[in-house]
Amino acid sequence: MDARQHFPALEREVYGKPLVYFDNAATSQRPRSVLELQQKLSVEACGNIHRALHRLAADATEAYEAGREAARAFIGAPARENLILTSGTTAAINLVASCFCQKFVGSGDQVVVSEAEHHSNIVPWQLACERAGARIAVLPVDEDGELSPEGLEAMLRDAGGRIKLVAVAHISNVLGIINPVKEIVTVAHRYGVPVLVDGAQGILHERVDVQALDCDFYVFSGHKIYAPTGIGVLYGKRELLEAMPPYMGGGEMIETVSFEKTSFAPLPLKFEAGTPNFVAGACLKPALELAGEMMQDAELQNNQEAMKNFLQEELSRIEGLRLYGTPADPARKVPLLSFSVEGAHAADLAQILDKMGMAVRSGQLCAEPLLRRYGQTAILRASLAPYNTLGECEIFIAALCRAIKMLR
Amino acid sequence: MKTIQEIQAGIVEDFSALTDWMDKYEYLIELGKGMNLIAENEKTEENLIPGCQSRVWLSCREEGGRLHFAADSDAIITRGIISLLLQVYDGQAPADILAADDGFIDKIGLRENLSPTRANGLLSMISTIKAYARRYAEMPGQARHDVSPVTPGPDPGSLEDAVVLALRQVYDPEIPVNIYDLGLIYDVHVDADGQVFIKMTLTAPNCPIADEVVAQTREAVADVPGVKDVQVDLVFEPEWTTDRMSEEAKLELGML
Repeated sequence: MDARQHFPALEREVYGKPLVYFDNAATSQRPRSVLELQQKLSVEACGNIHRALHRLAADATEAYEAGREAARAFIGAPARENLILTSGTTAAINLVASCFCQKFVGSGDQVVVSEAEHHSNIVPWQLACERAGARIAVLPVDEDGELSPEGLEAMLRDAGGRIKLVAVAHISNVLGIINPVKEIVTVAHRYGVPVLVDGAQGILHERVDVQALDCDFYVFSGHKIYAPTGIGVLYGKRELLEAMPPYMGGGEMIETVSFEKTSFAPLPLKFEAGTPNFVAGACLKPALELAGEMMQDAELQNNQEAMKNFLQEELSRIEGLRLYGTPADPARKVPLLSFSVEGAHAADLAQILDKMGMAVRSGQLCAEPLLRRYGQTAILRASLAPYNTLGECEIFIAALCRAIKMLR
Repeated sequence: MKTIQEIQAGIVEDFSALTDWMDKYEYLIELGKGMNLIAENEKTEENLIPGCQSRVWLSCREEGGRLHFAADSDAIITRGIISLLLQVYDGQAPADILAADDGFIDKIGLRENLSPTRANGLLSMISTIKAYARRYAEMPGQARHDVSPVTPGPDPGSLEDAVVLALRQVYDPEIPVNIYDLGLIYDVHVDADGQVFIKMTLTAPNCPIADEVVAQTREAVADVPGVKDVQVDLVFEPEWTTDRMSEEAKLELGML
């Protein structure tokens, strides 16, 4: 299929040059179907969901719930009750960190995060652990960026029951490695410990089946998979979501309210206080439908492999360039490539590449501990989506070589 | 010496000759390569300017009523930008620096052509320069060489020395040489807020007392005043060899 025709942003030029958008790990572009639904709902169904009896509210509610249903189907969750819509991955992790830790984590306990986590999968746990008198334990990555389920097993064995949860990325936003999440879940469950999988990057590159994976929580953002910003998904196992206390209090999360005592709405609304971004929520449907089609398209999948292989090979030829995230099994790498170049600072490279029409990310990539592990303060990342092309990869490599030459 | 206005006008003229932004970057890169650099020992936390994606250090000293700046950055375009600022402000009187208008930055299109994060860094550099000028303007005659507008934190350099000293007190029980001089410590990193990261190895991967040595290392470093937290990473890549031992250690073990 021709994926590019769906994404009008890819047609634009920057500084008179065709845009090469290689910052998909930060946010993806939006397809026409999403833009159209956004516009349509804003005009025709701007009524507050789940409350009023009028037509606008009914249409909005229906569209929003259709978005939730699309998300449920996309990740293979058993029921509507398992799907909490949040404002994004960060909000979803904060919700779990706050509510899970309040209920299940006490003084002297630990929550395991990996060394390769995004700040959003570190800081919420730090805050929640601090409140509970608990602490974070870190599952290290090796020099290639790989996580070891055996290493986790050793931690669980040595902790003597004090580890209460494991939070790990499906795919690191720096390393682009598909982590062995299935093995991690199996190991953790052997010790009775639930696992949260941060799917912010995984959702775009891997077909997720939460029931097969058997993870306890899976979270992702809509905007990284063609939906608008401001909407995210928290999948949770029902018994955990039931046991956790509510997060924010407010409208629509209640059953009955009196000044003495409030009882709460059943799942999923228990965790959805206030008016949600219902337009963005509704847009999950067209976004995930297109994502599903693109994932099933053999041509696009082959193209992804070809782009990844081409970039890896060309980058490895550049003198003084170091790639981060090099798994022993190359099939476990996605087209998300982070690297540093000797004698050329990432911020300089990104700035020059921008003027050549290329959007890449530079800096700490919200993963300061991981960068510190590799002795870097800033690196460059090219992250691709299925709508990118091999031609763009060729332009990128030529531009990168030119920028390096300017700086050295 | 030229006034600030004259120098600014010169820069605007230089830039107007360059039409393409790639040429302007080339020019900034050249400026960056030839800049008056800050001394290595002045690249301290307190001379670090906040708000820049690349690290930028700026120091200031006063001589005969004029301020002299030195700076560096790990990114060359950033260095070029600082170099422009220093061309304008270096060697000027505090009052003139405070009175100066920064319009030349907009005239050469610098702000609009930088990413917002970098533009913030640029503003941060200017405000640091002005903060120095304000300090000196407020304390005339007081020849302070270390005035810093940035609140000084603990000096990670001296803390690192103390950590190394502590590591030298830890011994592998089978060898009468401390773990530091044995070359078992691959990396010591000390944060501004007292977090210490240590990457270490052992003489053999199957060392039976591995946990003990790591625990001793952690305790020794945790006891150093100023250390908030210690993280010890035990690695076996690259493999330890006797080449990593210090001269003293080799002498001690009769290998020299």
